[in-house]
Amino acid sequence: MAQTQTAPPTTGPATWQPKVVAFLCNWCSYAGADLAGVSRIQYPPNVRIIRVPCSGRINPLFLLRALQNGADAVLVSGCHPGDCHYISGNLAARRKFALLKDLLLYVGLEPERVQFTWVSASEGGRFAAIIDKVVEQARRLGPNRKLVKPL
Amino acid sequence: MTAGHEIETRLREVAATLLCDKKVDLFLGYEKTSLPLRTTPLFLTSADEVERLAWNPFCAANLAVYLPRFFRAPADAREAKTQPPAPTVGMVVKGCDARTVTALIQERQVPRDKLVLVGVACPGMVDIRKAERVLGEQEALGAGEDGQGNIRVVVEDGSEVTLRRDLVVADACLECRSPTPALHDALLGSPVEAAETDAARRRTAEFESKPPDVRWARFQEALSKCIRCNACRQACPMCYCKDCLLDQTRPRWIGAGTDLSDVTVYHLVRALHMAGRCTECGACARACPMGIDTRLLVRKMNQEVEDLYGYQPGQAADATPAMSAFAMDDPQEFLTEP
Repeated sequence: MAQTQTAPPTTGPATWQPKVVAFLCNWCSYAGADLAGVSRIQYPPNVRIIRVPCSGRINPLFLLRALQNGADAVLVSGCHPGDCHYISGNLAARRKFALLKDLLLYVGLEPERVQFTWVSASEGGRFAAIIDKVVEQARRLGPNRKLVKPL
Repeated sequence: MTAGHEIETRLREVAATLLCDKKVDLFLGYEKTSLPLRTTPLFLTSADEVERLAWNPFCAANLAVYLPRFFRAPADAREAKTQPPAPTVGMVVKGCDARTVTALIQERQVPRDKLVLVGVACPGMVDIRKAERVLGEQEALGAGEDGQGNIRVVVEDGSEVTLRRDLVVADACLECRSPTPALHDALLGSPVEAAETDAARRRTAEFESKPPDVRWARFQEALSKCIRCNACRQACPMCYCKDCLLDQTRPRWIGAGTDLSDVTVYHLVRALHMAGRCTECGACARACPMGIDTRLLVRKMNQEVEDLYGYQPGQAADATPAMSAFAMDDPQEFLTEP
């Protein structure tokens, strides 16, 4: 049977949706996202979650690579200070993230493209609120063009 | 006799004594080359050749870049058996070199007890590019220092041109906060005070005063010259990793070509790796064949580390580098809150 229905356009400014990559630590933030899910808290579907053992595992290069490969914003979330499963992974990460954010601001990239936060396993509501905010900011910024690598 | 000559004579004496008394197996210094405005690194193993040692306004190279390879840990038990014992190394250090050696000691790349550091108070070293720009069409045939510390250059027609030292020394030297080496076993020359202590901050503030889009455009314009030769990594004494992420191909973390996005990521990552570690010797800027201001980002990162964590690289051999440490109450205003 001939296809009569045309597929809805998937590209173009009218339908553009921001892509957000979220790096979540296994012990707190990933469980927090899980809790948001099982509690059926609604949050935008624009986020792609990557589970990592600890926020301390994250090399700033991962975030730059995500932006290079077409992410419009990147979020990193770990355990609150003092709650790290590995005692201090998030504290070591905090210093790296502070510098990365300053560096991007310095060279003239939108600092909202890279976001950091802490979400514990019991903070499903907070996780959803953070995603809301990050997606909303990415939407306002528009597509990431500065760092993205043309194919 | 100029201050430079006096230091050169003393340096030869000190090196000869160290080598004769077997206090060092190897002495690192500078040697004149056939080209003016330049020197080449010299590795001395015998006191008979100390006359080759030179000290002049062109000894810009940071010799600390050669140190880690002498003290590299063996890869395995077999290598440990066959590896010759680590030598004791004597070395000429300027203010920046001493900071670098301190940072390398902090990062356990070189042992302090295997080093004999001959410090020289440094009045700033000539940036060849700056000197050539001032000389314009005239080709330099010979160069030296006059009594005031300015640079005398003999040009093609045999006449002499005097270049004011502050106009031809490297940017890193103009920003240097400790021209007199803090870490040394002997100090030659009279101590030199920093010309200006906030020159680096001023440069950063100048760049920061521009709107973000202008900063990005400037940054991209500078990087568009980059040919990804990795000379900045190669020249950097703090880039001593045996396996550099740039050499890995599985995964290939950063594209090796000159795609502007890859170039940008490379320079951002380099800045992050150097944050709180760069001792601002300017080796990267000297090595860059395209004349890129390779220190733009690292300079900012070091200032940020100083402001946030109160740490300056290469100051104390027993301090923990800021990016290897953390505190419960580190600032975190940058975090996203719902």
